[in-house]
Parts: sequence; C-alpha cells; structure tokens
Amino acid sequence: MAVIAGRPKRGALLPSRLTDATNSRIGSLVLYVIRRLLWMIPVVFFVIVITFILMHSAAGSPWDKSGGRQLSQVIVDNLNKKYGLDKPVFQQFLLYIWNVLHFDFGLSYQYQGKSVVELIGGGWPYTATIGTLAFLLIVPIGVGLGVLAALRQNTRVDYATVGFATFSASFPNFVIGSLMIVFFSVLLYKWTGGQFFLPAGGWGLDDHLIMPAVTLALLPIAYTARLTRASTLETIRQDYIRTAWAKGLSERLVVIRHVLKNSLIPVVTTLGPTFAFLVTGSVIVETVFSIPGIGRAFVVAVTSRDYPMILGTTVLFSIIIAAANLVVDVLYVFIDPRVRLT
Amino acid sequence: MTAADWVYGYQHFLNPALAAGYVDPFFDTTIKGADNYSNVDVSSSSAIDSFISGLGLSAPDANTFVIKLQHPAAFFKWVVTLWVAVPIRKDVVEQAAGGTFPSSDTTKPLKWAQSANTIIGNGPYKISEIVSKDHVTLVPNTGYWGGAPHLQKIVENFIEDANTAFAKYQTGDLDMMTVPLADVDVVRNDPVLSKQAKVYPKLTTFWMTFNAQKTPFNNADVRMAFSKSIDRDKLNKQVQHDIQQSILSFIPKGMAGYDTSDKSQSFDATAAKALLTKAGVTAAQLNKFTLLTRNTTRNKTLNQFIIDQWNTNLGLSMQLEVIDSKTVTSRIRKGQFDIYGPDGWGADYPDQQDWYDIFFKNSCHSLNWGCVDLPGYDTLVQKADGELDQNARNKDYNTAQKQLIDSAAVAFIFQDYEYNLIKPYVGNLTITAGDDQSLPGNFYWHDAYITTH
Amino acid sequence: MAIPVAAVEGSPIDWEVPEQQVGLWADAWQRFRRNRLAVLGLGLVTFLVVVALISPLLVHFGIIHDPIKQQVESIETAPGVNGHIFGTDILGRDTLSRLMLGSQVSLTVGLLVQGIIFPIGLAIGLTAGYFGGRIDNLLMRFTDIWYAFPDLLFVLVVVSVWRVSGTWFVQLIPIFGAIALVNWVGLARLVRGQVLSIKEKEYIEAARSSGSSPLKLILKHMLPNSLGPIIVTLTFGIPNAIFLEAVLSFLGVGIQPPQPTWGQMVADGTEAIYANPTSVVFPALAIGFTLLAFSFIGDGLRDALDPRMRR
Repeated sequence: MAVIAGRPKRGALLPSRLTDATNSRIGSLVLYVIRRLLWMIPVVFFVIVITFILMHSAAGSPWDKSGGRQLSQVIVDNLNKKYGLDKPVFQQFLLYIWNVLHFDFGLSYQYQGKSVVELIGGGWPYTATIGTLAFLLIVPIGVGLGVLAALRQNTRVDYATVGFATFSASFPNFVIGSLMIVFFSVLLYKWTGGQFFLPAGGWGLDDHLIMPAVTLALLPIAYTARLTRASTLETIRQDYIRTAWAKGLSERLVVIRHVLKNSLIPVVTTLGPTFAFLVTGSVIVETVFSIPGIGRAFVVAVTSRDYPMILGTTVLFSIIIAAANLVVDVLYVFIDPRVRLT
Repeated sequence: MTAADWVYGYQHFLNPALAAGYVDPFFDTTIKGADNYSNVDVSSSSAIDSFISGLGLSAPDANTFVIKLQHPAAFFKWVVTLWVAVPIRKDVVEQAAGGTFPSSDTTKPLKWAQSANTIIGNGPYKISEIVSKDHVTLVPNTGYWGGAPHLQKIVENFIEDANTAFAKYQTGDLDMMTVPLADVDVVRNDPVLSKQAKVYPKLTTFWMTFNAQKTPFNNADVRMAFSKSIDRDKLNKQVQHDIQQSILSFIPKGMAGYDTSDKSQSFDATAAKALLTKAGVTAAQLNKFTLLTRNTTRNKTLNQFIIDQWNTNLGLSMQLEVIDSKTVTSRIRKGQFDIYGPDGWGADYPDQQDWYDIFFKNSCHSLNWGCVDLPGYDTLVQKADGELDQNARNKDYNTAQKQLIDSAAVAFIFQDYEYNLIKPYVGNLTITAGDDQSLPGNFYWHDAYITTH
Repeated sequence: MAIPVAAVEGSPIDWEVPEQQVGLWADAWQRFRRNRLAVLGLGLVTFLVVVALISPLLVHFGIIHDPIKQQVESIETAPGVNGHIFGTDILGRDTLSRLMLGSQVSLTVGLLVQGIIFPIGLAIGLTAGYFGGRIDNLLMRFTDIWYAFPDLLFVLVVVSVWRVSGTWFVQLIPIFGAIALVNWVGLARLVRGQVLSIKEKEYIEAARSSGSSPLKLILKHMLPNSLGPIIVTLTFGIPNAIFLEAVLSFLGVGIQPPQPTWGQMVADGTEAIYANPTSVVFPALAIGFTLLAFSFIGDGLRDALDPRMRR
C-alpha cells in the first residue's frame, strides 16, 4: 500500500469521515499495522505446522527416562492415551489448532498437571524484566559508542571500541556469566571480608539483576556499536554532508538529523529481533544465574520431548518476533519518511 | 492420620489410570491382586474400581494397616519405604480436586500435590512454599509423632549450574552443596574449604554395557578383554580426582552383598589382548563399533578416556558417538548400539533384590540393554528373591554376582561417591549411603541443628 | 588514516596511473594495500590458515604434542608446567596443540557458514527491498516464520536420521545446514532495510529513468552503499558460528570428540573455570584473534570499495 502524498486512495469507497483519516499518513499507517497483525495469523500457523512435524520426527519419547527404571509398556500406553498421543499425528494437529483457538495450550508432560499457559505465564515476568533491563543498556551504550567511534575514526576511542567489541564477542555468554560470578561474587566476597559482593545468581529485584542483565547485554552492545559505527561512517562520508557541516551551526542541526536518520535504519533493523530474543530469554544466562524464567523452557522442553511446552514456547516466540519486526518496519517510516512501506 | 489413610494412599498410587512410575515391578509383582495392573481398562471407572477393591490392602482398625502379598518376599519390608508408598488423606485430595471424581479421571486426583497449601505428608517437615524451578521451603511439622525437629527452616534450591552453586556456598548463600568434579582439587587445596568437605559412598555402581546381540560381543572372552583393558586406577584416581572408587563387582560398598574377592575383571592389558586373540577377533571387526555416549560433560570426559584405553591397549581405533540423551535412550531400548556407557544403577533400597533383576533374560531392552545371556541366572535369583532366610539369600545372590563378574556381563568400573561441602555450623547430620543425591543426611534431618555462629 | 578528499573530476593526482579508468577491483586492492590495519588483518588470517594447514604435519613430526594423547597424570595444569606451554585440559591433553588443530574445524565453520549465509540473505533482502509490494510482504513473512523456526528441534531430527561418521569435514555438513539455515534471516532483514531507504534517493530515480536494468541498479548503486553493515554482520557471524558448533555438539550434531574445536574447548573449559581459568581463556583468545583479524579486513574492504573514495 504505497503512501504517496496527495493521491487519494480508498476514499471513494469509504464513508467521508474515514476518507480524511485514510488520506493521512497516520491513517494509512494504522491500516498497514492492522494488515500486518492479520498476517501474523498465517505466520504463527505455519510455525505450528513446522514445529509439529519436526517434533514428531525426532527420536525419543517423552516417557523415556535417562537413567534408572524405564516405564513399562503398559504405563507408556496409558500415558499416551491420557495425552492423546495415541491418535494419528494429523488428528493431534487438528485437535491442537482447535484448542489454541480456545486459548488452551495444553498441559505440560514434564511438570505434571501444570498447564503450559501457567508455566509460561509464571516464568515470563522474570525473563522479561532482565531482558528489558539489558535492552535499556544496549540501546544508549551501543548506539552511543558506535557514533562516537565513527566520528573519531582511527583514533584511540575507535580502537578501544573495536577492542571491547572483539572481547565481548570472543567470550560466549556462559563464560562471561561464570567469570562474572567468580570475580564479583566469590573474589569480591573474599577481598572485602564479606562486606561487599554481588549475589551469585538467584532472583531478586535488586542487585541480583545486575550481572545477568550485563551478561546478556555485552555482545549486543558490541554488535550494535560496530553496526552503528559502520552505518554512520557510510553517511558522514557523503560529500553533501561534509559540505553542509562546513557551512556552520544552522546547517549542522540539519546534518545531525540527516546523519542519524540514515544511519539508524540498519541499527533499528537488528535491535528489533534483539529485543525479541532478550525478552524471550537466554537459556544460558538463566542457567548460570539460576533465574526461574522461560529462557530455559524451550531448551528443556525439546530435550525432554515435552510437546505442548515446545509448541507453547515456539508460538510465543513467533508472535513476539513478528511483532518486533512490525515495530521495526513502522519505525522505518518515522526515521526516514521517504521509506515506502508495502 | 489413620490406617485408612495408608490404604487410600496405596489405592491412589496403584490406580492404573494415573500411570504412576515404580508400580512396576515393586508393587504389581508383590501385592495380592495387583498382578492384573496391566490388564485394567483405564477408560472404565468400574473396571478400575473393581481392580482397586480387589487389592490386598485393608485397615482393620485405626492403627493397623494390612498388606497381603502374592507370595513370600523378604525384601518387601524395603519396598514399603519407597517414596511413592505414602499415606494420603482422601478429604484433602477431594477438596483440592473440587469434589469427588471418577476413578478414570487423570487430572483431578493430581491437584492436591501441585500447591504448597494442599500438599501434605507425615514427616518431620511440611512444605510452606514452592517457587517453581527456584526453591522449596520446608518448615517444622509440629504434629510429627517423633516431636518437632530442631531446624526451623530448610530451603532446597534448584541450581542448574554447579559453578554457581559453588559460588553461592562461598558467599554464604548455601550451607550444603555437592562439589563439581572439576573443582575437587580447588577445594582440597583450600585450607578452609578442605575442612568442610566430606566424602561418602552412594549405593550406586557404574559399568559399560556391550550389545551381546552383535558378534563378537556375544562371546564372554571378548567382553572380558574389553573390561580388562580399562585402567580403573587412572580413571578414578586421576580423571575423577580420587573421588569415585574403582570397583570390579556389582553390589556397592554400604549394603549387604558387597564382595571384592572376585577380581577377574582387573586391569591387565596383556591378558586382555590374549583373550581377543583366543576369541579370534580382529581389529577390523571391532573398529566399526562406536561407544554411544550421553551428551553430558561428565560422560563425554569418561568415555573419551575409556575409548582411549581400549584403542591403546587393544590396538583399535574406535570412535565415540555423543548424542542427545533421549535419543540415546530411544536407541538402547531398540538395541541400536554397539557399546554404551557409563551405565549404572542406584539402589532404590538397600536390598539385593533391587539389583539382580536388571540382568534377567526378559529385562532385555529394558535395563539389560545388552541382552546378555546368563544360563541359570534367572532361576537362581528368583529363588533368592523368594527365600526368607537372609543367609541363604546372601549366598545365592553372591553366586549370581560371581556369574556376572566372571562372564563379564558388563564391565564394572566404579562406585559413585559424593564430595560435599557442608558448613561447620550444621550439627548432628547423619549421612548414609542411601541418601538422596545432593541431600546429605536427608533421612535424619529431624535430628540436625544449627550451632551458634 | 586520513580520509582522502574526493578529487575534482578530471585532475590527475597520481600521474603514474594510466589515462584510462582503473577497474574497480584493482583500484580497491591498491587502497586496501595502503590500509595498514587491513594488511595486518590479512596477515593474521594468513597465519591462522597456515597454522591450520600445517598443524597435522607438526604433530606427525613431533614438533608439537599430540593433541589427542591423554596424560591423566597432569590434568588441568597451568601454563608452562611439564613442557606444556599453554597447560593441559581435562584429560591432560596439550592445550596449544589442541588450539592449533582446532583451528581447522573452527575456521572452516566460521567462514564457510558466512559463505552460505551471504548469498541467501543478500538475494532475499535485495529482492524484497527492491521490488516491494507483494513480493516484499511474502518474503518478509517467510522470514518471520524462519525467525521462529525451532532450530534445536531440527538438529534433533537430523541426529535421529544421520549417523555421525567420517572425517571432521563430513561431520560438519549437518552443522553447516543447521547454522546457515537459520542465520540468514538477520542479513536479509538488514539488506532489505538498507535497500528500502536507498531506493527513494534522487540519484536512484535518475538512474532508473535513464533506463538501467534493476540488477545493474542494485549492484552498482545500492549494494556498494550498504556494504558497511553487511560486512560487520558477516564478521560477527564468525565467532557466532564457532560457538554454535559447540552448542550443537552438545546435542550430538557435529564434531565428535576427540577432534578439538575452539568452541568445544571453551564450553568444556567453563566447567573448570575455578580450577584452571586458562582452559577457557586461551581458546577464547584464539577466537578473539580471528574476529579481530576479520574486523580489520572487513573495515579495510569497505573503505577500499567505497565508491565515494574513488577517483
């Protein structure tokens, strides 16, 4: 749906009050958002289809035990009957879709008797809090460092940023998390005789949040900084930018807006999915810092073949990522009004 | 609590529709009337009801609970100590379920156990709080028959990462934890921590399993060759930091039946090679075999060592196959493996009956993964299971153990020991070999206390 | 390094250059050569490749320890002990040799995966951004589905049907698939975003009205102007792929022990972080080294190919 100023679009078919609305940019944007929201339905549907197929193709059943006595065939049959696993896969799929339409996502196999909604709803606040905190660190620090490095290309500031970025990317989450615990919990405790140290994991709305959020934020900050730097460099090298800048203060404001406008597109593109990943949790950070969130939920569900949980977490994630990408696309229009959304 | 609660508890647990684990083989082979467990139609409440009323469970008065058995079983006194055989109050279950329910219902009967308010028990502590995947809090049960315990609160934390738990112990957030293997030497060399560390045995033995349905592993000499080419000293003293202890037999130290006299499986590379030659097996035949490994760091490390031993000492070049755990279980259930390990067994209770049924002929594909054929073994063990004289039982089990060792049914490698750090102010902790993992002293927490510090 | 100001059209700066236009690539190579950091990066990468290639020979001739030989008497030793320059790992194997041999797998994984992601992400991003409309919508919804694709499950399915055997390269094939399959989405979205914003600029309109074909338009005008972020994404993808290999190996897809890989060395070393932190630090440094080298090359490449800097 192209948005070109001055050209009436659907006005002829709609009542007159709406005509004015749809002619405005905001109006067409709203319609765009509604269309995209509707498109989320087939997206989620296909994700469910793919997940269903893969789930039932993977070897191993939810009732196999990794050690000790295995359940006898009779009990396995009864369990399968209880959870409807004895029906043909296609029928199970239809049943699942039907239930989802009634907002029933089933019961977990692993956490007996607890519903998927209960488990995910119970764990999500923890995950989302830490994820959001990390995101609030990433945006200002990442973008700020990137712009700084671009403006001061090939100076010490630039090299320091590159160095920091490299360091953060060479040490994966679990290493950084473990190292932080060693330094800021154990060693700090020893050096200050127990007076001052950060708690070694666990949940609390206090200094418990610091290390997990920082660990989560480190690599995205590095990537965002480098990306912003590259993108800003592209922009400020343009001749007309340099010319306008040279012209003086009044022009410089225009230039700054112009630079930001052009260099933020790739940054915003990656920050969207980053937010989605952060808010649905990192299995590693939650494992290392013992956060009872849903970051581990997907991995645990897959390794224990907890089918309803696999589907539940995947559906949640697909909705969030589709929403994040929608927000990104809408932001394009605000950053660079020339962008035509389709 | 009355005897009727015990009856109800057993009936609840033995309801086929609820598909409880551990019914088989402990209860359906022992309690009178329970042998029909597998044949009950779980969709029919009346079928279930008649099954349950046919069980040999009764409470003639408020203080007597009677269980009728199908046949004599000297080990049954241990079976009743299993954690699944507990009393439950019918009114609590029904209240949590929102009323009465038909016997074929599979969700309502479980509701009472899902929240801290309704979950009840008859031990010295009761649950005051459950935070899913984070921790469980226990507080004293003042109504306990043995009097209220000393400890005012016990918090059990679920901590996935062993390093994090170690850090929490050092910053005072935890009073007890199991030391991860990689940090054993750190603790040993630390002047403070080393005094707080305790090693104690667990009733768990580990071994390597060979698929006897594949030539040449059906040949006992070949299996023995593999067993004799593992340097257990190196494995346990070096790789496992001298925590786990080598074992050449089946029953672990700490329960009746522990016997180290038969050393047939001891390390001897020359003898091992000779056995292979005697069996007429070539390297080429063996090199296509892989060692199926579960994807944990511990298993990967152990198996890399073991396969290196086989390759070096027997002149082979076999490979590892490290896979996701459920896939491994799925494959060994179907016999789709060559060698698998480390496999093992931890006692459900300290009676040998719990151990020897692993190697029955019809345990093939369900614990006797290698489907090893042991002539006369089944009859011998079943005789021991049914005898009432403890000495006669021990003698028969011992003969069976000797058969397992001498025919290298599996290659026994080590007994599991646990290395725990316990703060010095935790007093009067009684640790037994049968304690649950990472819960040292959990049978006698009633007596423990905290000293002033 | 100072940014050379664009020369005025027609006035020669370097009179050694012949009168006709120098080709894009030769021109770029010359500028690349003059960028010291970029050359350094190239040198580092060459060094790594050489190490990867000759390390089996070094082991064969006993110049370095055998990386799979276990010495359980000296487990997790510190650097310098017992003739092991970088210490030993959890089974007493020499860390330095494992690092050198691990470079084979890790470099291959890191680079080849980017080689697969690049054309796929680029093609989809360019097509979606340039054509817009229905095509953009369908491609982007397809991308949304892929973002949510349960890659862990996919890996498990692969494990169920594919028996691991053969040399490390053969074992890597399902890994390439698994990693590349999912990681092209970020690049595609990035490229599309760039194209959307460049598409409306005046010089594009001008070129379009002068009759240039879409492909030429894309390759000549849009692509060079959006290279920077693409290159950053690809360079960051290298350590990402290396760690993914380790994560996937935990599920049983990919390199079986005892073949060393940097990712697995880091993962295994984390267990012993109290006892022997160097078991984590050294492989992580190797990965960082590689990333740094490719970052320099990437920056240099972008500067070299920047059309605004051409004469």
